[in-house]
Amino acid sequence: MSDVTTFAAPASEPTVDSRLARSRRTTELTLVFMAAVITGTAYTVTALGTNAEIPPGIIVFVAILLGLLLCAHVMVRLVARGADGTMLPLAALLHGIGFVMIARLDDELAGLQATWSLIAIGSFVLTLLVVQRATDLARYSWLFFFGGAFLLLLPLAPGLGVNINGARIWVSLGPINFQPGEFAKIALAIFFASYLADRRELIAASTWRVGPIHLPEPRYIAPIVMAWGFAVVVMVFQRDLGSSLLFFTLFVVMMWVATERLSYLLIGTVLFGAAAYFSWTQFGHVQTRVDIWLDPWEDPLDRGYQIIQALYGLADGGLTGTGLGRGNPGQVPEAQNDFIFAAIAEEWGLIGASAVLMAFVLLVGAGLRTALRTDRTFEKLLAVGLTTIVGIQGFIIIAGVIKVVPLTGITLPFVSYGGSSLVANYVLLALLIRLSDSSARRLGELPDEPTPSERWKAWRLSKRVRRAERHGLPVEGLA
Amino acid sequence: MACPSRGWPDVNRQIRQLAVGIMACYVVLFVALNYWQVGRKQELDARFDNTRQVLREFNKPRGPIITADGQVAAVSFPTAPGEPYNYRREYPTGDLLADITGYYTFAFGSTQVERSYGDVLTGSTAEQQVRALGDLLGGDVGTTGTVELAVRKDAQEVAKFLLGGRTGSITVIEPATGAIRAMYSNPTYDPNTFVDADFEVAQQIITDLQNADGNPLLAQAYQERYMPGSTFKVVTTGIALESGILGLDNSFPNEREWVPPQTNDPIQNYNGSLCGGDLATVFARSCNIPFAQLATLLGPDAMVAGTAAWGIGEEIPIDLPRPAASTFGNTANLAQELPLLAIRGFGQSEVQMVPLHLAMVAGTVANGGQMMQPYAVQATYDQAGRVLDRTEPEVWKTPLSPTNAGIMTQLMIGVAERGTASCCIALEGGIPVAAKTGTAQLGDPSNLDLSHAWIIAFAPADNPQYAVSVVLTDVQSTPDVAVTGGRLAGPLAKGMLDYLLTGAGSQPIAPTQPTEPPITESTDVDGDT
Repeated sequence: MSDVTTFAAPASEPTVDSRLARSRRTTELTLVFMAAVITGTAYTVTALGTNAEIPPGIIVFVAILLGLLLCAHVMVRLVARGADGTMLPLAALLHGIGFVMIARLDDELAGLQATWSLIAIGSFVLTLLVVQRATDLARYSWLFFFGGAFLLLLPLAPGLGVNINGARIWVSLGPINFQPGEFAKIALAIFFASYLADRRELIAASTWRVGPIHLPEPRYIAPIVMAWGFAVVVMVFQRDLGSSLLFFTLFVVMMWVATERLSYLLIGTVLFGAAAYFSWTQFGHVQTRVDIWLDPWEDPLDRGYQIIQALYGLADGGLTGTGLGRGNPGQVPEAQNDFIFAAIAEEWGLIGASAVLMAFVLLVGAGLRTALRTDRTFEKLLAVGLTTIVGIQGFIIIAGVIKVVPLTGITLPFVSYGGSSLVANYVLLALLIRLSDSSARRLGELPDEPTPSERWKAWRLSKRVRRAERHGLPVEGLA
Repeated sequence: MACPSRGWPDVNRQIRQLAVGIMACYVVLFVALNYWQVGRKQELDARFDNTRQVLREFNKPRGPIITADGQVAAVSFPTAPGEPYNYRREYPTGDLLADITGYYTFAFGSTQVERSYGDVLTGSTAEQQVRALGDLLGGDVGTTGTVELAVRKDAQEVAKFLLGGRTGSITVIEPATGAIRAMYSNPTYDPNTFVDADFEVAQQIITDLQNADGNPLLAQAYQERYMPGSTFKVVTTGIALESGILGLDNSFPNEREWVPPQTNDPIQNYNGSLCGGDLATVFARSCNIPFAQLATLLGPDAMVAGTAAWGIGEEIPIDLPRPAASTFGNTANLAQELPLLAIRGFGQSEVQMVPLHLAMVAGTVANGGQMMQPYAVQATYDQAGRVLDRTEPEVWKTPLSPTNAGIMTQLMIGVAERGTASCCIALEGGIPVAAKTGTAQLGDPSNLDLSHAWIIAFAPADNPQYAVSVVLTDVQSTPDVAVTGGRLAGPLAKGMLDYLLTGAGSQPIAPTQPTEPPITESTDVDGDT
């Protein structure tokens, strides 16, 4: 027997899906359907609230919505049928709530967002198809490193980058504007995961001592520090505080989980404190953010206007909200973007806003459950990294909007208006679903079938083996 | 094959801690949400710069206000996308109905019907909400309401024309129902100039209007009160008739002056003339002394109670916001101030009447002694044109018995036929009319000739359809032409009643000042103090 046969069906592997794996898909279908119903109902009620008329295209809207979500669901069923069944519906729910809010705030943006939704679901499907084995990503870790760096630098390129609202995080390519940073964070998470998975023992060994503190060999940690420092510096130049904070958190969390050393978390926090203090003393726009956070009523008509209006919106919403389409979320500048959570809290009330928080918590839960279930370090770390991006990004912007931390402009994943953000988050979701599926297969919940590309390679290899056996030659590539 | 975890199972501990950490972050968010949306809700809602509540109201679609004759007085149009507000309010009649409709602005609130009937116009009443829910199932949605005024646009136009820019007001009511058919006053304003203007522009216009003479933003006819002069003798006479101390057979001595108790200063008739005779005569000629004597005879308590029976001292129960209340003046020490009581008996001193209230006084006589609640809105409709509410006439006060109302009618017909109004009120086609004039001398030490010229009237006297009050405020007597209610205000009441009863009078009829005083038998006492 050659090793080739073990590729196809090891004897110990199950040959049929376990009931658990099958029930996940049923759950997903049901929940996706419910997300579509909630979105369609909210869309109708909001239109009734604003214009007192049932939107004329409601049937088409619901049909397209269901079509898109079913398309995503069918793709999961085809190529990742062991994956967690809650992640796609949760993302769809957040996406739907966000779309209803955007459509209520601005018709024109709603049209664009609909187009972006199409592209985002397309990217989701494409990612699932292209990334058939999560471990494949680890092979290209340096590509992701340089790719991420390139994407981060792109907005600073003269002629390409554009300043919007004081932040230079946009790239303008003809009619399309996009934020490469949204994709850079995924690329860097993949790089961190791969790099840390390979060298975590070395880094955790911390042979290098500075006084009482144990630090890892500088040469092992250098690429990570570089990657992180690079990202942070670039984003300071781009004045994108939210993304800087997100990258920093991502880096610290992944270091901590990989090395299992609490000291990294503490060092990270101290470093962050120092960096935050430094930028507060050095940069006017950071000081402004902090001043507004401390007392927005100091300058209620200018700098504090946005946050004050958001808070008035929250208060006006109260427990049950003003009613869909019956509030005035348009009072808050950028309500469709960074401040979309305030708009939701105003019209959907504490109840609706809590539902959004809950959706994020559940999504984070599903992501970290994937990290717990998988047994490969790279996949563990990648799942942790991707989940942290969604969870922390959501926290940073919501906390900023409701005055828990100083406001840093960043999008609310799946909910805010914005093509780059939506596409990037669906790619991220596809990766999480891929990780979840592989963990289920390795846990024996369903057969670990070869991917189409593996089948293709195996077929070619077996042909070569047969040819070699026929001619009695040594077989290349079988080691 | 599943790989072993290579001796690193504890990574899972970090992941679990991470899960707890992120969960904690979101718990903080949930707590903060509760803090803002529940804990500090009331405080934030109440902040002066929080415009959410009013903005929500402002951006609702708003139905039209139409007049009794079907003309549009206020209407909303949707604005183009990108405008700060969803709707633009327009008042097609300009300043003509501003006193009735009021205005509706985002930054400066709303007044009159726009204020009182805001719920109906935006469809926020419970009944409209329930009906809208029913309609929704039938596919026909929308909740805005329509308000139909009792006021007629044509009558309003005639009133505006008759006033011809002079300050004052004309009010017409239906005696039997209280429906206000016209209520126009000068100075007024055109709400179109500021309802849709930019904040600063609108603020400037409103400030200018507030500081302007005569307060144009006020609907003077029901929100302002003036000294009524001799028109108040209707009230005094009514009280005396009801108390039983007076009848048509009473007569009063022909006197030039009379000294009331507690003083040595005599009270005089208008121009110090000699005046007396039976009740019909002294009422028609509007002698002052008989009514001073009646007030004194009735005494403070009966006068105070009597004026209260006419609604004096109470806000007028009109269906518009912030009505004024007529007043008999300070009554605390009236028993020690009998001379003041005597003077108030003929409508001078501290007595002040709202023009609408005086129309209602005339209406009471016309309506057999019952004073109806006045109303500016006669019906409201939902989006589909179904009636939401139709104003039912209601009696407010009953200060006169039908018999005494009949006596009062006879007295007022006398005024029109042979008294102080005979110069100017005879109607087209000989329709019988009843009236009472008044010239309120303001007693301004620097300008003794400044007066309010009044007339109240109703017609046809035998089957009253309309009661009218006209006041021209702060008019100046000249040495040649003395200001009197009959001469100045009389033609306006005639013009108004002619138009309403026969359609005549839409032609120019009222010279602002008669070139010659009309010669009547009562020229010597024409007008009153």
